[in-house]
Amino acid sequence: VRGPRFRRLKIGAGHRLDVKASGVFVLGIGHGNKLLTDLYNCHLTKVYTVGGLFGKATDDFSDTGKLVEKTTFDHITREKLERILAVIQGTNHKALLMHSNIDMKTQEAYELAVKGLIRPMGKSPPIITAIRCLQLTLPEFQLEIHCLHETQQYLRKIVHEIGLELKSSAVCTQVRRIRDGVFTLDDALLRTQWNLQSIQNAIWDCQLKVKTELEKTLG
Amino acid sequence: VSAAMWGALRGARRPPPPALRRGLAKPAGPRSVRQLREAEEAAPVFQYAGKAAKRKDRIFVWGFSYSGALGVPSFVKPDVGWKKPRRIQTTPYRLETAEKISSVACGYGFTLLSSNTTDITKVWGMGLNKDSQLGFQRSIRDRTKGYEYVLEPSPIPLPLEKPQQTRVLQVSCGRAHSLILTDSEGVFTMGNNSYGQCGRKVVEDETYSESHLIHQLKEFDSTVVQVVCGQDHSLFRTKKGAVYACGWGADGQTGLGHYNITSVPTKLRGDIAGVNIIQVSSYGDCCLAVSDEGDVFGWGNSEYLQLASVTETTQVNIPRHLPFKIGKIKEAACGGTGNIVLTEEGNVFVWGYGILGKGPNLIETAVPEMIPPSLFGWSGFSPDIRVAHVRCGLSQFAALTNRGELFVWGKNLRGCLGTGRMEDQYFPWRVTVPGEVVDVACGVDHMVSMVKSFT
Repeated sequence: VRGPRFRRLKIGAGHRLDVKASGVFVLGIGHGNKLLTDLYNCHLTKVYTVGGLFGKATDDFSDTGKLVEKTTFDHITREKLERILAVIQGTNHKALLMHSNIDMKTQEAYELAVKGLIRPMGKSPPIITAIRCLQLTLPEFQLEIHCLHETQQYLRKIVHEIGLELKSSAVCTQVRRIRDGVFTLDDALLRTQWNLQSIQNAIWDCQLKVKTELEKTLG
Repeated sequence: VSAAMWGALRGARRPPPPALRRGLAKPAGPRSVRQLREAEEAAPVFQYAGKAAKRKDRIFVWGFSYSGALGVPSFVKPDVGWKKPRRIQTTPYRLETAEKISSVACGYGFTLLSSNTTDITKVWGMGLNKDSQLGFQRSIRDRTKGYEYVLEPSPIPLPLEKPQQTRVLQVSCGRAHSLILTDSEGVFTMGNNSYGQCGRKVVEDETYSESHLIHQLKEFDSTVVQVVCGQDHSLFRTKKGAVYACGWGADGQTGLGHYNITSVPTKLRGDIAGVNIIQVSSYGDCCLAVSDEGDVFGWGNSEYLQLASVTETTQVNIPRHLPFKIGKIKEAACGGTGNIVLTEEGNVFVWGYGILGKGPNLIETAVPEMIPPSLFGWSGFSPDIRVAHVRCGLSQFAALTNRGELFVWGKNLRGCLGTGRMEDQYFPWRVTVPGEVVDVACGVDHMVSMVKSFT
């Protein structure tokens, strides 16, 4: 008997990735869709590398949009950029504690805050847990952003706001997700590997990781 | 004739003057990539900040405003109809100042700002002035009377010998008196002197309100480099490392071996005799001093276990060495009931009574407890964050990191923490200030911070 082995697969998608971005995109097949909802409820952070360009401001914050303004950027130094990033991280850390819905007056809130385990376990606006500059060669720069509940357009907006804060302007040239919860770039399949054998191997490798993470977070 | 005339008129279409000649119009349509690129390159470039743009210095205030201590008159008396009086400013609010401010001090309901300029006006004050702690502020309506509340930063006239050469180095405020340190003319004191805290003899039944008297202190063993006000006493630290004190001593806070009032600054002995002290601190009735070797000495009130590690008595009137094994100490700050120190490694230790910063369960301790650095933003991701300074208000604590972030905790009396909420804070919480915080001064129910803008 010959013919395709699998017919009518139910495929579900994990966290959204829009058209202009690239990187790790989690899919669930068949019974794995139930694991997708559990992974969503874990509220794990995602890591992006975001590339930006100083000197331009566009209407949709990316370099393919309509030009709004051009500015100078020769006054920008790595020190100033790191200062701005430290403040962004600080205000987002505050938002993290506030949206996690724990009463700040209890001893357990203090213990969790010391360990750094406070996280919003429900709906919340996008929060950046960590941000740092990987490289800065004017006019280009690259940031690594760890975030929760975000959209890629929000990350582009952050790049635009960093430009404004530095008294210049910036557009986002590249958004690449390098980690989504437990799945990293090493586990991801390339376009050339989208065949049955590699998919099966990938599922087999990731099963253990997903199980341990779910047990740890959801108990 | 008519046909020829009409023909001439119709045919005589003169060419338009050269300036108004138009070419044929091109059809409109989506612009090609080349047109977009050319339009982009032709767009003007704006410059918002040059290469040598300097960072600006700003002052931010927050807390209880009805005493006038915040220096914003529209909070107390609104100048426009739609504004309502604001009793408490819960988040940092920018205060416009005439000059760059180099030193700030918060007292009990009043504030002093000073600049190290050589202009005539060097010190500004705002808030309560019932004991002339802000000098004599002449009332505009009645030239013989003074103001009891000063709502705006008002210049304080100092009786300087060389007003255009002397610089004001530091200011300090207590409950009802203030001290101003200059570089060449000693220390100026003003305000309440009922316990001799201004360094002059106590005059019976003296009225301190609307007083023009500003006393000058010059006799110390060497130049005074730091002045500190406790609640009703004053401490002076000189360049040679000695400490002088005057004022109320019923809790032993003058450290002179007795519990009486001292009205002349007298040198302290006890465990700090011969020790080079590099920093002194006080705000309530307890005092701490740090030596250059990293040891800490304490004296004064010990009802809240501040000095319980060396003695059971509740008042200590002679400086005692506090034998803590927590490392070399760099900076210390005293509050009303709790104390805080910063070690060379960047760790923060608290002890005493009240909300100490380790959750609601830690109410009092006689031995210093360390606050975990992860609460100040230290993590595996950013391992080089250190606490650079610690400050104390009456029942609040503040810590500044080397990245310019401000963390506060303690009792949130009338919104003085600046977190935006009115609840007490049991562990260090970040205050969002639009800039890098350089220094902060904590008072009873308000705080003032000196901030540098980002770019």
